[in-house]
Amino acid sequence: MARVRLRKLLQVFGWIGLTGLGAGRSVYFHDATVVRRPWMTNHEFIQDLTLSQLLPGPNFSNLAVAIGVRLGGWRGGAVGAIALIVPGALILLAATVLYFRAGLAPHAASAMHGAGAAVVGLVFVTTARIMGAAIRRGRDLLVAGAVFALVGPLHVNTIVAVLLVAPVALWMHRPRRAPRS
Amino acid sequence: MLDLARMTWTFLWLSLICVGGGLGVIPELQRQVVDQHHWVTAREFLDGYTLSQLTPGPNMMVAVFVGYRAHGLPGALLAGAAMFLPVSILTAAVARHWETLRERPWSRACEHALAPIGTGLMAAGVYTLARSGIHDWATGSLAVLAAAVLYRRWLPPLALVVSAGLAGWLAGL
Repeated sequence: MARVRLRKLLQVFGWIGLTGLGAGRSVYFHDATVVRRPWMTNHEFIQDLTLSQLLPGPNFSNLAVAIGVRLGGWRGGAVGAIALIVPGALILLAATVLYFRAGLAPHAASAMHGAGAAVVGLVFVTTARIMGAAIRRGRDLLVAGAVFALVGPLHVNTIVAVLLVAPVALWMHRPRRAPRS
Repeated sequence: MLDLARMTWTFLWLSLICVGGGLGVIPELQRQVVDQHHWVTAREFLDGYTLSQLTPGPNMMVAVFVGYRAHGLPGALLAGAAMFLPVSILTAAVARHWETLRERPWSRACEHALAPIGTGLMAAGVYTLARSGIHDWATGSLAVLAAAVLYRRWLPPLALVVSAGLAGWLAGL
């Protein structure tokens, strides 16, 4: 039984897809489904957020699918994904056509260089904040550092790097049996 | 046609290694689309990523940008579908059973083990973008200034990127 009518889901997710700009985009979903509407609890939201980050793929669209499935089953997931992705895709496509067809005049190129430099600062701060919250122990920092060095400066293929590091990380976090009393 | 299929396949497998959000896949994405297949230049790639930050929706929309450059509208459509469709189906399938799955000990182990891997990949993404976006003292200073402004929350991210674009335009970077 769907908690929310698909039409309403399409409307709310479509609006997020159209207005969801900048870093920390999951906030828009929290606001729309927990704060403004009683569609789900905070606990349920955190569960879906964790899932969207755990699975491969862009977090923002994964979150739309996970919440969509929770609120409207399979069809809710499909509607959620389409509503979130399509508006932004069409806007970016229009910008892309302009970028290549207009051939970016020198002034526009200067503006893109400036904006590009700011994006570097933006992703740096966002990553630092996430690292600060996600990494609590020295061994996790070691794992993150190894992945960074391999994929970044050493140019190792990402799949190879993850295959090298993931078994070690999994072993570090392996389930442990409770000590017998 | 063969190249279109190759591009679709490339975005499909890239979406599957997109751990920890879009930024984590940037190094491999750039390696594939710039160095390996030459679908865009490094400069165009950074501009595409910047455009995806300036427009709404997931930032992996940069796939649409690359797809359009390489193969026009069919390329944009297929690249976007390859980036979002398989992982969305996977998410929907797991979301249906997540309540029971997450209680298993190894699910928790994966959850804890993947967090530092994801953040390491994100840091590598920052490194890759910095190599394309910072090429002189002016762009370097702008990046540091942007980081400081965002850290102190003086401006929201979008306003910051637009302001930096304006500054770049005025300074003729």
